[in-house]
Amino acid sequence: MQGSTRRMGVMTDVHRRFLQLLMTHGVLEEWDVKRLQRHCYKVHDRNATVDKLEDFINNINSVLESLYIEIKRGVTEDDGRPIYALVNLATTSISKMATDFAENELDLFRKALELIIDSETGFASSTNILNLVDQLKGKKMRKKEAEQVLQKFVQNKWLIEKEGEFTLHGRAILEMEQYIRETYPDAVKICNICHSLLIQGQSCETCGIRMHLPCVAKYFQSNAEPRCPHCNDYWPHEIPEVFDPEKQREAGISKSNKKSLRSRQH
Amino acid sequence: MSEQSKDLSDPNFAAEAPSSEVHSSPGVPEGVPPSETLAEPQSPPLGPTAAPQAAQPPQAPSDEDDPKALQQAAEEGRAHQAPSAAQPGPAPPAPAQLVQKAHELMWYVLVKDQKKMIIWFPDMVKDVIGSYKKWCRSILRRTSLILARVFGLHLRLTSLHTMEFALVKALEPEELDRVALSNRMPMTGLLLMILSLIYVKGRGARESAVWNVLRILGLRPWKKHSTFGDVRKLITEEFVQQNYLKYQRVPYVEPPEYEFFWGSRASREITKLQIMEFLARVFKKDPQAWPSRYREALEEARALREANPAAHCPRSSVSED
Repeated sequence: MQGSTRRMGVMTDVHRRFLQLLMTHGVLEEWDVKRLQRHCYKVHDRNATVDKLEDFINNINSVLESLYIEIKRGVTEDDGRPIYALVNLATTSISKMATDFAENELDLFRKALELIIDSETGFASSTNILNLVDQLKGKKMRKKEAEQVLQKFVQNKWLIEKEGEFTLHGRAILEMEQYIRETYPDAVKICNICHSLLIQGQSCETCGIRMHLPCVAKYFQSNAEPRCPHCNDYWPHEIPEVFDPEKQREAGISKSNKKSLRSRQH
Repeated sequence: MSEQSKDLSDPNFAAEAPSSEVHSSPGVPEGVPPSETLAEPQSPPLGPTAAPQAAQPPQAPSDEDDPKALQQAAEEGRAHQAPSAAQPGPAPPAPAQLVQKAHELMWYVLVKDQKKMIIWFPDMVKDVIGSYKKWCRSILRRTSLILARVFGLHLRLTSLHTMEFALVKALEPEELDRVALSNRMPMTGLLLMILSLIYVKGRGARESAVWNVLRILGLRPWKKHSTFGDVRKLITEEFVQQNYLKYQRVPYVEPPEYEFFWGSRASREITKLQIMEFLARVFKKDPQAWPSRYREALEEARALREANPAAHCPRSSVSED
């Protein structure tokens, strides 16, 4: 693999520092990433014009390609915020977590993941997850411990908790999409618009196709009569707003403003 | 900052290398495996932060022609020839496999560092290198090269004794609080507060003193905090586990009391000047209000600049841009 030297020329200290910091933070929102990029330019190359973020990242990714890693951009499923993380493409297991958690903890995550994927809403209740505690591999875990482990997952941004139920954090989806699609090929749901993995979203009640909330927002933007793209039936759900970074910042980022737009099948 | 690489160039250290189940510990190549030359990245590393700085623990030369290093390798090879002399040894793997292992190791090290966990050589062998143990030297070398070129990080053996590695920034030290990304700030602020207290005292800070200071931030040992959670657990366990703090029992004191010291990681990552800047900001005073500490901080900054002449001039943290 001597070929990797071919692309090395484009990496400067600006890019290296950016990569370092992105890796340090794990996952970042887009405006943080832009700030990070500006910081890196400021430190190393003050007078240069800051590249457009997309070009900047594509540039770095062309270097990372031979290492089987990439800076991946995703969108949070609940409110469409763009997020970025450095992900390992080569992995086919949840190896990023493997360094952090014990065997029984990893198994708890796997069990929660399965419940989430199988569920209709993309959420698994705390009770249902905890009931599986006896089936875990490795050291025996009590329910009390399991509750704390679930909190650890939330703190480390692998899971999100809403009203006692758990779903996957945007970061987990970014990092594990490939693994999930390979491991649960029959159970995974796919968005009809963007064709990526879908955990939370809305579905057509007639034909069953699903769409991410941000995909719904974009697809039906300023459409007075939203109709299912597949069967043309009237789309029965509330259409969320398209994510607007400027409006978001002005309003202040208060979590309580976010409505939980979980779709429900009747 | 402390140059461990000094130890590595000493041929005698091979004798001290612990003979654990880890057969090929750093710096002790079992002869020179024939696959070495195949797996070797032949092109010289590009960029300023290249191999010469990257203190690869098996102090193998980036240039195989170095006669001294070859002799050293031969010596070490001979010293450990006995165990492996009996078997012919497995066939060397394809270069592509070694490269893949290097990539896996790179990711492993990056994730460990991200989680602020110790990068322990026996773990590296167990979790990543596995059956390629015999070639771990070349794998390590390639990993170090990639990390230096792409990330600007040195994979440095920080302690031969405990076989711990650390990822050290090859770029000039960034100011912790400059990159004020909100989800990091609280932790950094809390940690800096404690480190500053220890620094100003000039010795360990008793736990009671630390809590007096944290009370200013509204933190109490028994109260859960909305951002920090269990603060006591955070500072006595997590920060300690990450080597930012040391938490030790004060000797000869009854009832038992504990005190905090700077951890090895804090000493590596945080400069005294950064502490002074933090203090100045928090207390809205000039750093000269702590004259002897400020002098110490300037001293350290000067020593750092002299130790790294190739690096850019470290940003003066006090007089800001």
